[in-house]
Amino acid sequence: MLIKIKAFLFIIFVCLGGPSIWAGQPSQKFSFPIKQYTLNNGLRVILSEDNSLPIVSVVLAYKVGSINEKPGKTGLAHLLENLMFQGSRNVGKMQHYSFIQKIGGVLNAVTTDDKTIFYQTVPSNQLALVLWLESDRMKTLDISPANVENIKNNLIEDMERQKQSDPYLENSWYFDRLLFPGFAYNHPILGTISDIKKITTEDVRKFFTTYYTPSNAVLTIVGHIDEQKVLNLIQRYFSTIPMGSPPPALELGDLPEIETVSFTMKNVMAPSPGFFLGYQLAPRYSDDHYKLVIAEYVLMKGRTSRMFKRLIEKDKTAIHLSGGIETRLDQSVLKLFVRANNEIMNERNRRAVFAEINKIKTALITEDELHKTKNLFKMDYYKQFTTVLDKAIFLSEEVLDRGDYDLWRDDLDRYLAVSHYDVSRVANIYLKEQRILINIDIK
Amino acid sequence: MRTKQNSQLPRCFYFLVLLIFFMQIPHSYAQERFRRSPPLPEPFPELSLPLIETHTLTNGLGIAVVRRQDHPVIGMRLIIMTGESSSPDNLPGLATLCARMITKGSTNLRAEDIEEKIESIGGSMSVETHPDYTEFSIFFLEEYLDDALQLLGEILLHPNFPRLEIGNVQRSMFYDLAIQNTNPEFIARRLLYQILFESHPYRKIVFDPGGIKNLSRKDILSFYSQHYRPDNAKLVLIGNLNLEIASRKVSRYLSRWEKRELEYASAPILKPRDEMKICFIDLPQAKDATIHLGNIIFPITSRDYFPFTVFNQVIGGTPNSRLFMRLRESKAYAYNAFSEMQFFRSCGVFSITAKVLTEFCYEAIQEIIKEIDDLRNVQIPSQEIEQAKSYLIGNLPLKIETYEALSAKISEIQAFGLGRDHWERYYNNIMRINSEAVSKMGQKYSLHTPVIVIVGNSEIMEYLEKFERVSVYSPDGNLRYEISKGEKE
Repeated sequence: MLIKIKAFLFIIFVCLGGPSIWAGQPSQKFSFPIKQYTLNNGLRVILSEDNSLPIVSVVLAYKVGSINEKPGKTGLAHLLENLMFQGSRNVGKMQHYSFIQKIGGVLNAVTTDDKTIFYQTVPSNQLALVLWLESDRMKTLDISPANVENIKNNLIEDMERQKQSDPYLENSWYFDRLLFPGFAYNHPILGTISDIKKITTEDVRKFFTTYYTPSNAVLTIVGHIDEQKVLNLIQRYFSTIPMGSPPPALELGDLPEIETVSFTMKNVMAPSPGFFLGYQLAPRYSDDHYKLVIAEYVLMKGRTSRMFKRLIEKDKTAIHLSGGIETRLDQSVLKLFVRANNEIMNERNRRAVFAEINKIKTALITEDELHKTKNLFKMDYYKQFTTVLDKAIFLSEEVLDRGDYDLWRDDLDRYLAVSHYDVSRVANIYLKEQRILINIDIK
Repeated sequence: MRTKQNSQLPRCFYFLVLLIFFMQIPHSYAQERFRRSPPLPEPFPELSLPLIETHTLTNGLGIAVVRRQDHPVIGMRLIIMTGESSSPDNLPGLATLCARMITKGSTNLRAEDIEEKIESIGGSMSVETHPDYTEFSIFFLEEYLDDALQLLGEILLHPNFPRLEIGNVQRSMFYDLAIQNTNPEFIARRLLYQILFESHPYRKIVFDPGGIKNLSRKDILSFYSQHYRPDNAKLVLIGNLNLEIASRKVSRYLSRWEKRELEYASAPILKPRDEMKICFIDLPQAKDATIHLGNIIFPITSRDYFPFTVFNQVIGGTPNSRLFMRLRESKAYAYNAFSEMQFFRSCGVFSITAKVLTEFCYEAIQEIIKEIDDLRNVQIPSQEIEQAKSYLIGNLPLKIETYEALSAKISEIQAFGLGRDHWERYYNNIMRINSEAVSKMGQKYSLHTPVIVIVGNSEIMEYLEKFERVSVYSPDGNLRYEISKGEKE
């Protein structure tokens, strides 16, 4: 039986009052309806009606990722994501793909550090098909030794291909190990080849029964839907799947602060020299995090951001500049990767990057720059809701990350209330001496 | 007695064991009936595509507005109805260079000022030159429509084409093309167009990077003054606005754009090739063989557009279509195989692309031709037609969901002058197609005599010897030599 937890809700952004008005560009009303239900077996269901077009997105997100892997078993979460397309009791191998593609739909899946997300968008008259497919693999996934071996081989081949196509991949993994001190956070989501080879069918089965349960998942449906019909379908396909035991609690322990590290790695396969730079930041949803995001935009988001303008457009010393804030569970960092044509330019880039970081710490940004930065951020923020699939993924992540689907409603205003003093203050606190700098030497 | 009692106890025990066993069945073996087979779909929901409202300003600038209220964002595309095919014969690439220079400086703004202004309204801008038209796209926060139009007016009406920026853009175009020149799909497509459009203005859409440096500021100015006119342009707007407000605002910023009557000669009609031609491009670094073959079909305004769309879906629209199933799943010759239709103002090109294993290059081409012949000669089962139609109807809303995608589609409708029927009656136009109409497409158009381009390393030549005649080209499209069956290189 479905238990209705929250009624129809309009999410309205209101501008913040008080002292922050002068600094902020309050967001205008931006709303869409959301409802949440929970099945008796613990499956959380999020519904959002959007009748713009006759399509619907279904996202089934499990709260499991690389962070749940044990040493020696890395790559297990990603392996299981792939195995989910190898068939279940009533669905043949790779049939999930063909069922969706034949009706003009799209589908995919992704594994992150703490989530595994399966998603599809289809014509709205085909919603039942998707629920049938998703429930069948949740209930009766075919975890045969042949399927597991097949996926292991594919993953190892993929990883070797990826290493060839991205000569900096292993450098970036090493950078992650230093920046996220702690095995759970810092091992690659793809796993290591030697670990993948050792994964057994029993390992996979155990991982599946532990984490791929209704009570460890969120089912989000956004699009052209009739609520009562959808609830009946969800009840039909998911309510008889056993709840499963709660997954074991994560044992992450206290994470140390990073130490200042600065060294050079040789990489003769890399086409050009470069460097990785990283800082530990305040965790997501903390007050300072909102301010740090605006500082990140000032520094490196958009073609007119300070670093892009200086390194790429004005000085033309960099041939590549990427990075930004990255969050893994409760850990947030700022990453930067810059490449240059030669070591002289590389050295200039390093100096320019530190000069820009110093500048944001010592001089207040102008009103114009803050205004531009916030508008750029606002546009990116709205992009999270561009399609019904975007909305469905966003809401799934909110429920898994924050345990609720409506806490985000104040987020935009919190970003837009950031002042130029805030930007300078957080830059001084977090962009400090304790940082990781890895220089890539190609000789 | 004792013995009897003893013998009865085990019977109870077995009964209990059996009872427990059967009670477990629903959890382990039995399943609800509805899980055994996929559910039937509900009837198709009504597909009502967004309404396109249009208006023309007194200076001739066309405006097309589509109202969408779901996002606080506006999508704006300015279309200049002139593309790369209008570059002068001796100055290929000029249309592209001129378009990219529009964003690089005006009388009052430098290139960096323009970028700042765009990002200040939360926006991003891109420029794309097609064979028949050019698009300037800006997406921005909805509260900045006036700012966006003012900026568009400034850069369109008062460009100053700074020399320094011309050099930068020329270099950037050169490097873009140089990178594309290592891509087998790009090289194959370029040679296909070069041969199909041999003596037609569309041949200019494939130009050599070497010529870009010869384009001067004077050439750009001349091209700009000839083609950048309001009566040769349309503005597409998508967002929470109506035609009246949009027209008023557009008029405020773009009504001073001066009209000039232009006479455009319509492009000559192109005939399809009636003889198969095999071309090979030796690309030493290519590991596999890329096959790209095609021939001329009708323009997008033709009544054949909808039956041919279904035909294209049946043969190669998705991984469930015939080519993919035959070449990859059944024969294991190819990594992938798809077909597509590309349209120009006066014609279209139907083409098939496949990435195949080198040693099966010849067989893969034979299978493609066989598939085309089958579609020409054997009636397509109705079920396959219905499946293709269901894909097309179901997939269209997914393809126009974003403002970017929807505005690109509206631009195409405006640029090619497609009637309302084409857009608003898409559902009916597809649904009325039957197997007979689709089979006719295979017979009507010369799909069995295509130009076939194969890109790969020199090992492929040994497999191509089975063809009667092969023309060998360099990667930049120059004919090196021709070789006939039985001849040695």
